[in-house]
Order: sequence, then structure tokens, then C-alpha cells
Amino acid sequence: MVNNQALSPAATSVEYVLDAVNAVAAYGSKTILHQLNLHIRPGEIYALLGANGAGKTTTLSLFLGFLAPQSGSIRVNGIDPGTHPAEARKQFAYIPENVALYEHLTARENVEYLLDLAGQRETADTIANSLAAAGLAPAAFDRRVSGFSKGMRQKVAIGLALARKVPALLLDEPTSGLDPQATTEFNRLLSLLRQQNVAILMVTHDLLSAADVADRIGFLEAGRLVEEVAAEGQDRFDVRLLHRRYAGQA
Amino acid sequence: MMKIVLRIAREECRSLLRNHVAVLGTLLLTVLMLIASLNAWEHQRNSAAEIARYQTQSNHEFESQPDRHPHRMAHYGHFLFRPLNALAAFDPGISAYTGNTLFLEAHRQNSANFGDVRQSSLLLRFGQLTPAFVLQVLAPLLLVFVGFSGIARERESGTLRLLLTQGVSSQQLVLGKLAALSAFTGLILLPAVLMLGVLALTRESAWGMSLVLIAGYAVWLLLWSLMVVFISSLCQRSRDALLGLLAIWVVAIILLPRWVPDLANAAISLPTRFENEITIQKEYLALGDSHNPNDPKFAEFRDQVLKQYGVSRIEDLPVNFKGLVGMEGERKASALFNRYAKKAFDLQTAQNGFVDDFAWLSPLFALKRLSMSAAGTDLQNFRSFLEQGEQYRYNLVQGLNKLQTEKLSYVDDTTKGKENRIDRSNWQTFPEFSFKPSSSWSTLKTALPALGTLVLWVMLLGALTLLQSLRLARAIK
Repeated sequence: MVNNQALSPAATSVEYVLDAVNAVAAYGSKTILHQLNLHIRPGEIYALLGANGAGKTTTLSLFLGFLAPQSGSIRVNGIDPGTHPAEARKQFAYIPENVALYEHLTARENVEYLLDLAGQRETADTIANSLAAAGLAPAAFDRRVSGFSKGMRQKVAIGLALARKVPALLLDEPTSGLDPQATTEFNRLLSLLRQQNVAILMVTHDLLSAADVADRIGFLEAGRLVEEVAAEGQDRFDVRLLHRRYAGQA
Repeated sequence: MMKIVLRIAREECRSLLRNHVAVLGTLLLTVLMLIASLNAWEHQRNSAAEIARYQTQSNHEFESQPDRHPHRMAHYGHFLFRPLNALAAFDPGISAYTGNTLFLEAHRQNSANFGDVRQSSLLLRFGQLTPAFVLQVLAPLLLVFVGFSGIARERESGTLRLLLTQGVSSQQLVLGKLAALSAFTGLILLPAVLMLGVLALTRESAWGMSLVLIAGYAVWLLLWSLMVVFISSLCQRSRDALLGLLAIWVVAIILLPRWVPDLANAAISLPTRFENEITIQKEYLALGDSHNPNDPKFAEFRDQVLKQYGVSRIEDLPVNFKGLVGMEGERKASALFNRYAKKAFDLQTAQNGFVDDFAWLSPLFALKRLSMSAAGTDLQNFRSFLEQGEQYRYNLVQGLNKLQTEKLSYVDDTTKGKENRIDRSNWQTFPEFSFKPSSSWSTLKTALPALGTLVLWVMLLGALTLLQSLRLARAIK
């Protein structure tokens, strides 16, 4: 039986866990992001869509602390990842498109090791709970991940994110390569994290999945956030219109 | 900070334990080290016993010669055997090539003969399997194969990004990898430490130099650990790191140590043995024949002696003039030999200095200098043996010439059919040869600068690795 309470993240006091204010990012002389404003509250899922080269990955890099903004500010739970990367990274979990894990370790050992590195020591039960909550079959807990499918790897990464109990989650193309059933399962997990007040930024090409799970969807076009729509309220989106809009952009 | 570093190191060690190449390589190296140690120890024990036996036999044969003319005894000669330093089993250095046997005789300064290499198969010329060889050549290669992918693999597989996003700093990652590789080098070094401990137990004075050797090889392996981590952090792909490290290993450990001595030989050339012997022989002949008291080359000496004793004929001297000429001839010949020996050694020292300068390209030169010096198997120790041997030869020959001078009359010595032998008990009055190895201070004066060079290499690579670790996080987009 999964104990979701034990996996709840620590409470946060800031209004926006993931916050970009007038952020400008560039590689050399080439500006990738222009005056990006992105504010994600606790318990909110934000899907960022855009064509290739629109600046989605650069946005993630800003929050990950791998790139410092030329101007403007980036905050993760109030911490600037550009100047305090180690502290900022303790505030989020990150799941890349292709989840990299230590092939010589089992799923349980991977989570245990990465938690240790994050400065967290958890009991075997908590780790098992988080892996189970992520939907990984118990039989796979003690198997080396070298034989795992992409979906299973993602479950290990989500298990880690759950065990980390962080206030934010950054996802890079999380449903790419997953079958519809796995995508649905993945979206269920995101909903679970939303209930636990985790702020989620999801960079994706998968409009349907985004529409299925996101509270808000933002469209990046040539480094500018050109449109934001919501699942609820006056500006709630229509998937067919979104699709037309997105296909046209792409 | 340290907790995370140690956790990364622990995980890396676990990864190494699950890595068949690392486990098999370590086992193989340990077996090689054990074989090399046992082989070297056995060889050392046999050699020491042989040297002691032959030296005793040679002493006995010299002392048990019958009544003879003293100068015939000087030509009969004597053998000296160089006692091996206890640590020579660890690093035989140049001993295998120089030889350990010295034949002493009048009017000649012979070089040492019978090096191990000359008595062994040609295979030995490719490098002896000694503990020093294993640590100098094979251990860095194992470190390369074990550690090349340490950081490159993290970058290649994407786990570097994963680690960094857990809040691990790139410096912690690099230090963790280095700590793991250093722990691994400790494992590699352990058999050598045990061997040196055993060798040091056989001779108390060897403790200090054993510690110097352990320190030197520990720094050497740390240097390679740093090199491996640095190159691994520099390369995008594990394959590139492996190729880069293998190239460095080949150049620094295989090519340069063979090429630089040739370069030194070309830059500071030594005369060949034949050239040397011909030149010395020419000058020696110009000194006159010291067997012939009437040789005109000794006329001035004769006049001095006659004046000193206040007589006008050599027959009236209270001592045997022929013995005096022998002594004077030996003095002049020795000065000539010593001058050429010094010149040759000075050239060899200059060649060594030339080679040492290349320690900035390959730290192996510094390690070899330290290792051979601490093991007592370097040129300085060999030179010390030859010089002490020459001093012993000179004293022996002059002692015999003195017996000729004092115990035989000139008339008896120069008239055929007269008794000109002296009692055999005289041969026992000569002290036995006792080789005094270089002092610890003298050895340290050679070993410490080499250790300093290795430490500077470590500091340089440490600084580069630190800088690269800072770039590592920035390189991720």
C-alpha cells in the first residue's frame, strides 16, 4: 500500500515556485529568449509548447541553472539557480526526455544513491513506496535498470522525484516515445504530484497530453511567449483550436 | 561537501567492483606484482649469497697464495663483488646492465663485468619483470583502463546532468571520482608496500629509503589518477578519453624513455670503450715502464729519490728502488685512470641531467631517478662502488709495491736466480673490501628533487582538473 502522505513535498512560502521575470537568455551573440515571463504556482502544471528552436530547452536550462540569464531574473522557490545552483537544485526534480540512470545499479539502488547525493537519507520502505507510487512493479525494484524500457526508466525517475519531496518538477518531453497507455499513466502521476502541491513545468511537443493534464499551456515562438491559455476559467482552451494553432506554428 | 564526495567515491568503487576489466586487471596486476616480488626477492637472495660466497672465496684464494714476489701478487689480482642493496630487489636500476664484479690488478683500472642482462636471455633486454617495472609501466595502464570513462561516461550517458540536478557540484563529482581512483591505486600499491616492508626488515637501514620509495610511487599513482580524471573530464566521449590517455601513456612511458636517452647520447656523446682504451693506453705508455727501474721516464724520479736519501747510486738506497718505481708508476697510472674515469662519469652525469630535464615532459624520468636512487641502484651508487673499488685496488697494489720496496733488496729483485719471494703471511695483512653505500643524506639529495618534480606534476594536474571541473557544469546546456 502506497503511503502518499509520506511522499508529500515540504510546504513552500513563495507565491511562484518557478518564476521567470523578463528573462533574456543567449548563447554568445545569439539571443534565444526575449523577456520571458513565466510564473508557476505550487500545485500547478504548466506545459510549454513550441516548435524546435523556439527556446523550450533554453527555458529549462535557465531553471536548471545550466545557463544564467543575461538580464531579468530566474527563481526556483525563491533561489536564483544562476548564482546558487546547488541550493536551487535541491528545490526541484528533473526528468529529461531520455532518463539516464546508472545501468549497473538496480532501480532501488539508483533512487537510494541519488537521494544520498541530494542530501536525503530515506528508509527502504520510503524508497519502495515512492517507486510503487510511480507505478513501477515491485518485481522490478531490485532489477538492474540496464534492461528497463523507457517507460520503466521514467517511473524510476518519478519515484525519485516523489522521494525527493521537492516543491518543483521540471520535465523535458516526458511523454515522447511512450505508448498511449503509458502516457495516460504518466499523466496520472503528474496529477498525483499536483495534489501534493508540486509546481510542474513540462516542456513538450505532445499537445494532447499537455491538454489532458496541464492547468496552463504557454506557446513559445522564436524565444517569445506569445500566448498562454488555461484549462479553467474565461480563457480556457479548446484542444481543436490549440491543435490548429500549434500545427500552424510548427 | 565531503559526505557527497565519499558517497560518489563509494559508488564508483562499487561500479569498479562490478566492472570485469577492473577486477581482472587488478587481479592480473597483483599476480604480476607478486611474481615480480617473489622473483626479485629470490634473485636478490641468491645473488647476495653468491656474492658473499664468491667474495669469501676470492679473499681466501688471495690470502692463501704461496710465497711470491709481491708484484706478481699485484698481477695475480683480486676480485671484488658489489653487495646488493636490500632494495635492489624492488628496483634493480642500472645494476642489471653495469655488472657487479670488479677485477683488480696492477696498472689497470677495469670496469665492472657480468651484469645480469649479459648473462640472461635476450628477452630480458625488453625490461625485467620487477616490482618497479610493474608500478612504473603497467599500473598506469591499468588506471587508464579502469578510470578513463569515469567522468566521460557520466557525460555521455546523461547521468552527469542527473547528478548535477541533485545538487551535486562538478567539483564534488571530480573529487569523488578521484577519491575512488586513489583508493584503487592504494590497492595496487599495497603489494609493493608489503614487499618493501619485508625488504626493509632484512636491513634496518633500508626503512628510510623504503618510505621514500612508497612516497614516490604513491605520488606517481596519484599523478596518473589525476591525469585519468582530468582527461576523462575533458572528453565528450569515453572512447576519446581512452584514446587520449593511451596516447599519453605510450608517449610518456614507452617512447620518451627510449628516445630521450638516445637524444642525450647524441647531444653529449661518450667515447666508445675502444676509443677510451686506445687513448688511455697511449698516455699510459707515455708514462714509462714501471717494471723497469732504468726507464728514462723515471730518471727524474730516481734523481729525487737519490737526493732524498743522500746517496748517489740506487744500489745504495736502504729500500728497493724497483718497488719505489712501481709505486710511482702506479701513482701516475692511477691519476691517469681516475682522470678519464671522472671525465666519463661527468659526461654520464651530464647525460643524466639532460634526461632529467625531460621530466617536465614525462614524469617517469623523475620517478626513475627517485626509485633507482632510493633503491641504491643508480649511477651515483655504481660510481661509488667503482671509486671505492679503485681506492681498494690502489691501496692493495701500493701495499704490495711497498712490500716489494721494504722486504726485497734491489739487488735480489733485479738479479736472475736470486730469491725474490716473500712470505705468504703478508697477503693476510690486507684488509678485506667493505663497500659503503651512499649515505642517506646523499641519496635524499638526489631523490628529493625528483619527488619535488612529481609533486609539482600532481599540483599542476590538480589545478587543471579543478579548472576543468568548473567548466564541466558550464559545458552542459
